[in-house]
Amino acid sequence: MDQYRRIQTGKKDNIHIVLFKDKKILDDTVLDEIKTEINRLIGNAAGPDMLLDFANVEFMSSAMLGLLGQLHRKISQGQGRLKMCGIRPEIFQVFKLTNLDKLFKIFPDAPAGLAAFEA
Amino acid sequence: MRLPAWQRLKPEHRTHSGKTAMNSDASAQPTASAGSAAAGGGVDVVIAEDSRIQAKMLQRRLTEAGHTVRWGETGAEALALVRERRPDIIVSDIEMPVMTGYEFCKAVKTDPALKTLPFILLSTLADPIDIIRGLDAGADNYVTKPYEADFLLGRIQSLLASPLEEDSAGAEAAMLEVTLAGQQFRVKAGRQQVLNLLVSTFENAVAKNQELVVANQDLSVARDNLQRTNSELTDLNEQISRNNAQMVRDLEAAAKVQQSLLPAQDVTIPATQVAWRYVPCHSLAGDFLNIFMLDEEHVGLFVVDVSGHGVPSSLMAVTVGRFLTPKVSDQSLLVRQGADGRIAVARPAEVATQLNRLFQADEFSGLYFTILYGVLHMPTGRLDYVSGGHPALVRVPAGGTPEFHPVEGFPIAFVPDVDYEQHSLQLSPGDRIYLYSDGVPEAMDKDRQQLGDEALAGVLAATRSQSLDESVKALLQRVEDWCQPIGPLDDVSILGVEWRP
Repeated sequence: MDQYRRIQTGKKDNIHIVLFKDKKILDDTVLDEIKTEINRLIGNAAGPDMLLDFANVEFMSSAMLGLLGQLHRKISQGQGRLKMCGIRPEIFQVFKLTNLDKLFKIFPDAPAGLAAFEA
Repeated sequence: MRLPAWQRLKPEHRTHSGKTAMNSDASAQPTASAGSAAAGGGVDVVIAEDSRIQAKMLQRRLTEAGHTVRWGETGAEALALVRERRPDIIVSDIEMPVMTGYEFCKAVKTDPALKTLPFILLSTLADPIDIIRGLDAGADNYVTKPYEADFLLGRIQSLLASPLEEDSAGAEAAMLEVTLAGQQFRVKAGRQQVLNLLVSTFENAVAKNQELVVANQDLSVARDNLQRTNSELTDLNEQISRNNAQMVRDLEAAAKVQQSLLPAQDVTIPATQVAWRYVPCHSLAGDFLNIFMLDEEHVGLFVVDVSGHGVPSSLMAVTVGRFLTPKVSDQSLLVRQGADGRIAVARPAEVATQLNRLFQADEFSGLYFTILYGVLHMPTGRLDYVSGGHPALVRVPAGGTPEFHPVEGFPIAFVPDVDYEQHSLQLSPGDRIYLYSDGVPEAMDKDRQQLGDEALAGVLAATRSQSLDESVKALLQRVEDWCQPIGPLDDVSILGVEWRP
């Protein structure tokens, strides 16, 4: 039983793995639900380590970047680490246009992302 | 009717199969001792009913009341049961195959051995003619369907309490002429039969009337409720349309405030040509752009794109706009009064750094914005600019091909305490520069393919020989064509400037 509608969650060595279920993250409602669900997942935990997996995501609005920014800030403040993976080229373009590819730690896939936490 | 018929009844004293007949002139009142069932014990009832379910229900109620029940599925079957053993009373449906209730009734009432049997017809009485048919058939009682079981039981009790006289159905039978609904009927009926039937019909009418009164009360309660609900709904509707009108007014007002963030329609800047287009995808946008003189030699120009759309984004846009003003004030990040009283123009990098510091507070809204801000020094054609995560500036030299000038810099409000880097571009006379929001290169067609930088460059190259305004117009047209049939899903802003010293 999955308790979330927008995300699928897993945990490995205290690293939260969050896989976005949606192919399109464009609507404000979808965005709000993702935000709510991630907040519910983290709760009050201070800066957990987290890997966001975009493998399913084909389209993403730039508003999603705002959410990622908030998450990045929250996790960094708690001394946690945020990494991302599975970002396809079209979406990577959104990160690149806004220079955020230099802010976020982005890896090709989940194994590579997880390995980066051990380094 | 002038007088109750029973007052004129002549007593006929006959006995039949051990039953005592009435013997008093005015004794149409029930005589408790009469029927075999009058003592309160069970009687033998034959029912004729073609509906198995209705028959079972009736049978159960009668059995519960202590009666013996025999059931015939048709009039014919029931008649056979009656002939087999004489019951105390008959209850018959009307519509039945093989032998109808009327035919069954007539068969009983014309049989000398059976004619004093009380006969109850279960009728829907949908048509007044049913009464005539009942009379003609010799029925002495009607119960209208649907009936309450208790009503029928009561009727059985009272019929058994005042049994028919042996001859009442036949002896006094006479040809009666009745006019009903404009039709004349000739019916052969006995007086007591007529009386009984009329009384039962009247009782039915009274019972139905009571039901009607109750139903009417229920209806008027329901109507009151409905009216109340209706008026509540009307109130709500009015409230909604009032709120709606208020919201439309608010949106219009907000849209007007947003318009104030755009260049004046007749914007003229010495030594430059300016052209711009701005198409919000909703009534309120997150984009805005402007160009204005900062002092006598400097022109400030920018395109801002707040993430998202609608009210939150537009509110942020308006807030950002207050800081990007060429009027010297406490708020303006672009110009300030220098110590010598002259206007000092802020460096673009400083503007971006300040903006980023100011909007870090917005960590809860999740909103951020990208900006490309430039300051053009008109005498020299030197453009200083900064980018906060914004799409690249494009320069199109006179007679040359478009060049993209991407520079680094995070969107504003994204990362705290970063310094923004300033870049410079030396323009040649006749050079055009274009600033635009991501709604241009990222415009999506119906298959979600993006328009892309190459198409953008293609339009600007192809229109280089035309006027600046034509080129900006053509670029917007390209975007709108690309987004057919639904149109752009993002705000589209384009600002073109041609330096002509």
